[in-house]
Amino acid sequence: MTADDAKVSDETLIGRTAAGDPSAFDRLVRRHQAAVYRFARAAAPDGPPGDTGDAVEILRETFLAARRAASRHRDETSARPWLLALARQAIDRRHPRSREADLTPLRELARAAGWQSGGGGAVDESGLSVETAFAALPPEDREILTLCDREYFTVDEAARVTGLSDAAVRTRLHRARLRLLARLKERPHGE
Amino acid sequence: MESERIVAGLHCGEVLADLSEHLDGRLSFDRAERIDEHLAGCAECGRLFGEVTAAVRALRQLPDELLPPEVEERLAEALPG
Repeated sequence: MTADDAKVSDETLIGRTAAGDPSAFDRLVRRHQAAVYRFARAAAPDGPPGDTGDAVEILRETFLAARRAASRHRDETSARPWLLALARQAIDRRHPRSREADLTPLRELARAAGWQSGGGGAVDESGLSVETAFAALPPEDREILTLCDREYFTVDEAARVTGLSDAAVRTRLHRARLRLLARLKERPHGE
Repeated sequence: MESERIVAGLHCGEVLADLSEHLDGRLSFDRAERIDEHLAGCAECGRLFGEVTAAVRALRQLPDELLPPEVEERLAEALPG
């Protein structure tokens, strides 16, 4: 984003987009496209290595939906959560989500991370990098970690994006963090 | 193998359930204070809290993945002006 771009608020760009200004829409896309891309990569199931076709389609559907919905955007909703909620809907259309609840007992997740199991070996350099550990998590864990620990969304904003209750967001975040820690403690293959 | 116990009036299982809320500062002052007391007196829970905190910090410090140029190009082509 250039210094000039930064002077124009998201709300202004969305308002101008609603009024049919193509340059405002273009600026809105350029400002948020990388974040929508990262969210799509995190929240959608993994495709073939190197295949970005799915992410491009999710990006396209997200921004087309944003242009159509710009006139209904409310100023009290920040642009980024609004766009990621549209991206979530685009992902749902392409990859319907399982509605099965995560029934793994919390203690089991914690023990896999070393708690009360004598496996408290600290995360160290022989463990997986956080980037690799994150990539190996299920999409629903990557999604909630992206929203809460990468985008720094509030619980309420993350709930709006995912369609979950506030309580479900908190629970899912806690479980995702424990699974991330368990992954970080895994030794790389071959060791 | 360690076993769960009660420290500072809190069972390890209760503390486990609240760890992320504590990390994010969403607990009441009184609750947070009791959990801190438990964490100080319970090696297992204290270590888990420290490691979860470190993992979250490492995740937050990862550089943002940039948009690949070919994706940007394909998106620009796919969005009608």
